[in-house]
Amino acid sequence: MNVRSLRRSEGSSQTWPKTGLILAAILLNVALLMMGDTFAWLREYPETWVWGIAGATTTAVKYFVNDLAIRGVSVAEMTRGFANLIKVPMLALQGVLSEGFEFYGDNGEATIYRGLPWPAVMAGLTAFAWWAAGRKVALFSLFSLVYFLVFGLWQSSMLTLSSVVVAVFVSFVLGILLGILGYRNARANAILMPIYDVMQTIPTFSYLVPVLLLFGFNPVAAMIATVIYAMPPMARVTTLALQRVPPNIADFGDMAGCTKRQKMWQVMLPAARQNLLIGLNQVIMLTFAMVIIASVIGAGGLGGEVYQGLKALRIGDAVEVGIAITLMAIMLDRISKAIALSRPDHVDAAPGAVWQRHPLTFAWIAIALLLVLLGQIFPSLYAYPKAATISTGSFWNDAITWIGDTYYTQIKALRDTTITYIMRPMKSFLLDVPWTGFIAVIAAISYAIGGRGLAIMSASLLGFIAVTGYWDGAMVSLYLVLLSVIVALIIALPVGIWAGLNPRVDHVVTAIIDTLQTLPSFVYLIPVVMLFSVGEFAGLVAIVAYSLPPGVRYTKQGIQNVARSSIEAGDMAGCTRWQKLTNVQLPLAIPDIMLGVNQTIMFAFGMLVITALVGTRGLEHDTLVAISKVQPGEGIVAGLGIAFLSIITDRLISQGSRNFQRRSGMSQR
Amino acid sequence: MTQETETPTGEVLISCRSVWKLYGAKAEGIAAKYGQNISDEIIAKNGLISAARDVTFDVRKGEIFVIMGLSGSGKSTILRCMTGLIEPTMGQLLVSGTDLKTATRQQLIDLRRKVMGMVFQDFALLPHLTVLDNVAFPLKVQGKSKVERHAKAREMVDLVGLEGREAYLPHELSGGQQQRVGIARSLTTEPEIWFLDEPFSALDPLIRAEMQDEFLRLQNLLQKSIVFVTHDFDEAIRLADRIAIMADGRVVQIGTPEELITNPADDYVAKFTEKVPRSKVVTVQSVMGPVRQNLSGPPIKAADLVGDVAEQAMSGPDAMPVAGKDGTIIGALDRAAVTAVLLNKSASA
Ligand SMILES: Nc1ncnc2c1ncn2[C@@H]1O[C@H](COP(=O)(O)OP(=O)(O)OP(=O)(O)O)[C@@H](O)[C@H]1O
Ligand SMILES: [Mg+2]
Repeated sequence: MNVRSLRRSEGSSQTWPKTGLILAAILLNVALLMMGDTFAWLREYPETWVWGIAGATTTAVKYFVNDLAIRGVSVAEMTRGFANLIKVPMLALQGVLSEGFEFYGDNGEATIYRGLPWPAVMAGLTAFAWWAAGRKVALFSLFSLVYFLVFGLWQSSMLTLSSVVVAVFVSFVLGILLGILGYRNARANAILMPIYDVMQTIPTFSYLVPVLLLFGFNPVAAMIATVIYAMPPMARVTTLALQRVPPNIADFGDMAGCTKRQKMWQVMLPAARQNLLIGLNQVIMLTFAMVIIASVIGAGGLGGEVYQGLKALRIGDAVEVGIAITLMAIMLDRISKAIALSRPDHVDAAPGAVWQRHPLTFAWIAIALLLVLLGQIFPSLYAYPKAATISTGSFWNDAITWIGDTYYTQIKALRDTTITYIMRPMKSFLLDVPWTGFIAVIAAISYAIGGRGLAIMSASLLGFIAVTGYWDGAMVSLYLVLLSVIVALIIALPVGIWAGLNPRVDHVVTAIIDTLQTLPSFVYLIPVVMLFSVGEFAGLVAIVAYSLPPGVRYTKQGIQNVARSSIEAGDMAGCTRWQKLTNVQLPLAIPDIMLGVNQTIMFAFGMLVITALVGTRGLEHDTLVAISKVQPGEGIVAGLGIAFLSIITDRLISQGSRNFQRRSGMSQR
Repeated sequence: MTQETETPTGEVLISCRSVWKLYGAKAEGIAAKYGQNISDEIIAKNGLISAARDVTFDVRKGEIFVIMGLSGSGKSTILRCMTGLIEPTMGQLLVSGTDLKTATRQQLIDLRRKVMGMVFQDFALLPHLTVLDNVAFPLKVQGKSKVERHAKAREMVDLVGLEGREAYLPHELSGGQQQRVGIARSLTTEPEIWFLDEPFSALDPLIRAEMQDEFLRLQNLLQKSIVFVTHDFDEAIRLADRIAIMADGRVVQIGTPEELITNPADDYVAKFTEKVPRSKVVTVQSVMGPVRQNLSGPPIKAADLVGDVAEQAMSGPDAMPVAGKDGTIIGALDRAAVTAVLLNKSASA
């Protein structure tokens, strides 16, 4: 108790100097703007001073990949050999699921082994969904699979599925191993955490080039890029889950006489199973999102089809594939969630043979064999006939044309007004703010919130962006994110509060945001491009749409988490509903809402990266350009800029939220 | 402070000698500097928490040694020191002839595999294993074959009365049943020493009483040496051969239930004992007077509880003869003494 009251007095006595510091930093900006040209370098970072680390990195990476050789074998040869090795399970799975295998003999003659007939794959996946998640999900999966088939997307979807499976496996195993390391060794954990931060926030496009250079232009490169993105959450979840294993279970492991390894693998990890499986669900969804994005480097699959469709402005086709992606996302999510949440009951030891104990598996094997045999007679069991596929592409195209024709003036008005009166002014404002002044303000805020350490971190990360010559790009990125977040919150907060207060609304809203959150970010681009074509406005809409769900979710939970007793106290005090909301529920929900704001911003940064594809112009644009120009250094440095912006925001808001909780004595929660 | 009026006989299995456990950043350094001379002021000044202070006792073969104290008094700490789960800051611990301080990791593992078994307050069952596999787990890590360990585990499951539930998972069992599994599991390796840390605290009172009976039944059958931690004094006197009462990391008093009740070392102990029905703990021997003339009536056995002979004493003459083990008269029981016990007055009053 002493500690808390002490801290509180300390906080209030120091508030003034802190606010003063922030004010001083703002004044510095005004002063800089009013000053003449003598101090121009304080306003605009001079181009001649740019530290050419990006170019140097490009040269270094290219040298490393192409020219560096160890015992006559170049690094590229080694990494590509490694890639060929990883390719094996991927190709095997893909071959079994749809494409079959081709082997070339010495005389150039091809021997072809076919994979499984599509009905067998369908039956197998549906049966698996049934076993894991019950009848409803099984029916949904069957429906999705039929959709892939009749829309002629079978091959692409199986390619996507096999990429996901292999990448998830790698991320899962690697994540668990690194998670164990982080749990066992606090120092390793302290080093790993910031690395994970960067891995999760750095835009995908910025490391695609080095990955491509190292592993060649093939699905493995996409897979490795995917692992970089999807593995860190698994590692974090593993460390956290192990730390949360009840201490008595850990003690039991020792008391049973386990060796260190036995304790980890037979006691700790199984006891943490539930949380690990929830992590697996996350990994699957992140992997899926990333596999779709990786289509940009030609990884093929469903993402490739959307990308081609969008690029050629065949929006109708893109919509069709977008629906397929949505279906697959929901299918993967529901199945893996069901596995994570399942708590098996005992099974009475069923006497009998293997096939009696695993009827589903054996029935499937029998069916698959039968289908393989039938397939020799009916080739359509292997290759679904083109003639039987359908396409709704033209329908969607017509619909879009109709929307465009009918609402052209409204859409145009909305877009132009927003651009002229909101977007452009905000953008030029941020671009006009002197870089030194901006850094000073952020550093002062960081100091007020988190003390000297946070201030130094913010200032040096921002300084890095300025010094490397990416300041303007960073401001353009920042403006788009800030504006999107503001718009998203204006929508999310009222909706979240409404859902928090009204169970019926909650039901509907939760169903919608659950679905929206399973969708890969890439899919959001389709309707946006459909309605608003390309440009910064389209980017804005996409970011708002993508970052809405977390804001709604946390606000809703914040309201719902307010203890009954507090609400009843409000009732007893004779509050009206409005007074109750503003005096009791909202103040108590603030920590949750702040988390929601933080998540909204993180999601906004996540989407920002991809909006480069629809023509936004910030750092994300630089990362995309770096791909086409094959400039790994430029891509990475620009990408780090985005990563740093989001890391700073995250630290500021989460520390601010913690301060708030501590000051209002809510830390117990 | 500690006093042992009657030293139990039997081989010493666990010996705690001046064991200290200090928590805090500077714990090791301060302990190295001051050693056993460390004082309260030094501990407080350096911001240390003393979870165990200068704890000394022996646990003997075949006895039920109960450690009793309020929450936070250091019971678990001292138990965890005895099992090697934590290392004491100072002091010596001998368990079944092994000095825990110098024991290698492998020796400690062997000790736990062969000599120790432990039951936990919140059961600590492995959620992914069936009852049978949970019970067989300690044998599994020893590399025993599936057939062998399942046979042994089945035996243990039967012993605790859970036959028929072998294939159940922990979440399908009630608290009492889960603790039966915990008990069975701690016994599969046939340990010599049995540690129980508040094994029944998480259970409802009725189930708790049932489990205490079960525990006594098993002990009658198996004759283990037991260290039993509880914060419930009634449970302690019901089960214990000897009780060590702890407060703030110190052992305040060690003795048989009767000794604690008839002769509490300080107010702290007296507070626990005052509500206990003394007639159920105090023996005739400890309240009888010297032999005198004119005793009539059949003799009363010295080792009987006062409560058991109360009726006979109240309806008989003022004073009755008391017979020792060999039948000779060794004292006289006054009716007034019996009344005092029944009224729960302490011996000194
Ligand atoms: N790892 C630790 N770090 C700091 N202090 C600790 C630690 N473990 C225990 N303590 C402190 O040591 C004291 C004794 O704890 P211990 O767990 O032995 O109590 P206990 O008698 O078993 O209590 P309970 O009945 O609640 O289980 C407590 O004050 C506790 O806060
Ligand atoms: Mg305890």
